[in-house]
Amino acid sequence: MLGEPFLLGFEQFMTPLGLGLTFAGILFGLIIGVLPGLGPLMGIILLLPVATSFPPVPALGLLIAVFVGGSCGGSISAILLRIPGTPLAAATLLDGYPMAQKGRAGDAIGLAIAASSVGGLLGGVVLVILSPILAEFAANFAPPEFTALAVTGLLAIALVSEGSLLKGLISGSFGLLLATIGTDGFSTGYRFTFGSANMLDGFHIVAIVVGLFAVSEMAFQIMGKNLLKSPHVEVVLPGFGSILKLLRHWKNLISSSAIGAFFGALPGAGGVISSFAAYATARSFSFDRDEFGKGAEGGVVAPESANNATVGGTLIPTLALGIPGDAASAMLLGAILILGYIPGPILFEQQPEIVGGIFSVYLASNIFLLVIGIVATPLFVYVLRTPKSALIPIVLILCCLGTYSAQASVFDLFAMFGFGLIGILFRVFRYPLSPIVIGVILGPLLENNLRRSLLISQDGYWIFLERPVSAILIIANVLIVAAYVWSNYRKTSHCWIEEVDSD
Amino acid sequence: MLGKFRTSWPIVTFFVVVIAVVFQQILTSFVEQGIASGGPYDNAASYPRTVAIFMAVCLVAQLLMPGASNAPSDLPKDADKGDFIRAGTLLAIFLIYLICLKVLGYHISTPVMIISVMVLCGERHRFFMFAVSVCSSLVVSFVFEKLLNVVLPGGIFSIHIPW
Repeated sequence: MLGEPFLLGFEQFMTPLGLGLTFAGILFGLIIGVLPGLGPLMGIILLLPVATSFPPVPALGLLIAVFVGGSCGGSISAILLRIPGTPLAAATLLDGYPMAQKGRAGDAIGLAIAASSVGGLLGGVVLVILSPILAEFAANFAPPEFTALAVTGLLAIALVSEGSLLKGLISGSFGLLLATIGTDGFSTGYRFTFGSANMLDGFHIVAIVVGLFAVSEMAFQIMGKNLLKSPHVEVVLPGFGSILKLLRHWKNLISSSAIGAFFGALPGAGGVISSFAAYATARSFSFDRDEFGKGAEGGVVAPESANNATVGGTLIPTLALGIPGDAASAMLLGAILILGYIPGPILFEQQPEIVGGIFSVYLASNIFLLVIGIVATPLFVYVLRTPKSALIPIVLILCCLGTYSAQASVFDLFAMFGFGLIGILFRVFRYPLSPIVIGVILGPLLENNLRRSLLISQDGYWIFLERPVSAILIIANVLIVAAYVWSNYRKTSHCWIEEVDSD
Repeated sequence: MLGKFRTSWPIVTFFVVVIAVVFQQILTSFVEQGIASGGPYDNAASYPRTVAIFMAVCLVAQLLMPGASNAPSDLPKDADKGDFIRAGTLLAIFLIYLICLKVLGYHISTPVMIISVMVLCGERHRFFMFAVSVCSSLVVSFVFEKLLNVVLPGGIFSIHIPW
């Protein structure tokens, strides 16, 4: 069942362009991951407009490789500087930095890269096995199920976003409203276009995400101190012997990868949760429990294998259901849509070679990660020495040209700037940005399937409760929200009682 | 509620404006086009109206809930007035750059923008600023024009490098 699509996809990947873009994606992803404040999401955002001008499998190879490389790159600055390049590496510094302090920086980085690579491959095996099964299950889904799934995806992201659930829901609603701008597919009327021809297709997703995330981030970065300072970092040379060291921790590797793939498949969970969960688990089951936090090799293996396995897990609902698990997979989903394909059961049925291609690029990315990561570590050390005074304008130029290259539209540039201001406003008042992206991506899926459901329904909205899968999802959503509200109510009452007692 | 509004009025105002615009457009443009009522096929207003109402309910609930959000602010803890001015200036430089991009073209606007931002960051080594601005704008131009076949804005002087 899987063999032929895999072979067809592998053929599309094994071209000079496919191999070259995957290689470039890993290198770019590692560099982006190394630099604090950027991360794999930023890397995907910056390259998205560029990638979509290539054929589909090489294009997705570039973006998935950035995702894979970026998920690992943060460990290098975490180990050398005690500053995680991305939140994904926050658990890695607990033992990675102490290892570096003991003169074992090369070992720590080598272990981190090897663990990321193998963890990612194990996550890839889970992806290859589970996503077709899930897609086959979802092939029987009708508009009510897809509506309920879209609501679940939005709710999950809102629930785990920074800030309160309400703020996450408000941000998600804003994203849903943004997705309504333009020509309505059903009635062919114009919504919120204000008579402008530029708005007939709404705002381009690239302008939205580049503005919200990248432009706002540069504004916050320039507010920091030490903009001219180059961090003092010594060049280290990890070796391929790290692979042998990694094999000593094979139980930790397998269990952490499983944890990573599991959390990755849950919408909203993501690499940070999986890396800390894997770290805690590894520590609990380790014979050298007391060494954790002081430079234990297992303390580097666990989070790094988990956070890269998470990428594979995240791709399961993204490909099989068309429901992204986080902002980065939402961007990958956006890329698939821009390339003209519809993620979900349809993709597995009608374009299995694209699915096979995605599997191939994901697995190959993790192999490239091992080689490039170890060989090019000195390059990343030099990148770490780049002062922010040079980095900020370069990132802004990439934002600008990346957005411009999507449609060669100057309007998109000003839209990007406007969303940059909105991104700053949201971040200052602690409203999360990821639900906006999820809302923009899932909005059309939600609205189209909602309206289709009502068109086919003879009982109005009751159709969502008459069909078992959608009923289960809706009831689950209500219970989750109720549990969250109850938990907050108890917390608030507890605080109030404490205040009264202290008075 | 009033206390929370006082501390977060800019973003609350933003959401109120968004919600107001949704309803305003539904009552005017949508009605003119005949897409403000009817069944699921013809009624293009029902969904955005529902989302706007949901947003309004969440906003009111957020203002009524006691306590502050537990999310860490992205503002640096020791940010002073100079930091805010620097951020504002960066945005102004970027906006001017976007305007000039179409008029003057990429190859003139970009090095000027890079040098401006570096000066804003406190950089004073002229050779370093010149080297970074010229090299990075040329490298990025090569990648986009030669490798990716993206035609960058040439401006009124139509400056393009024949890679």
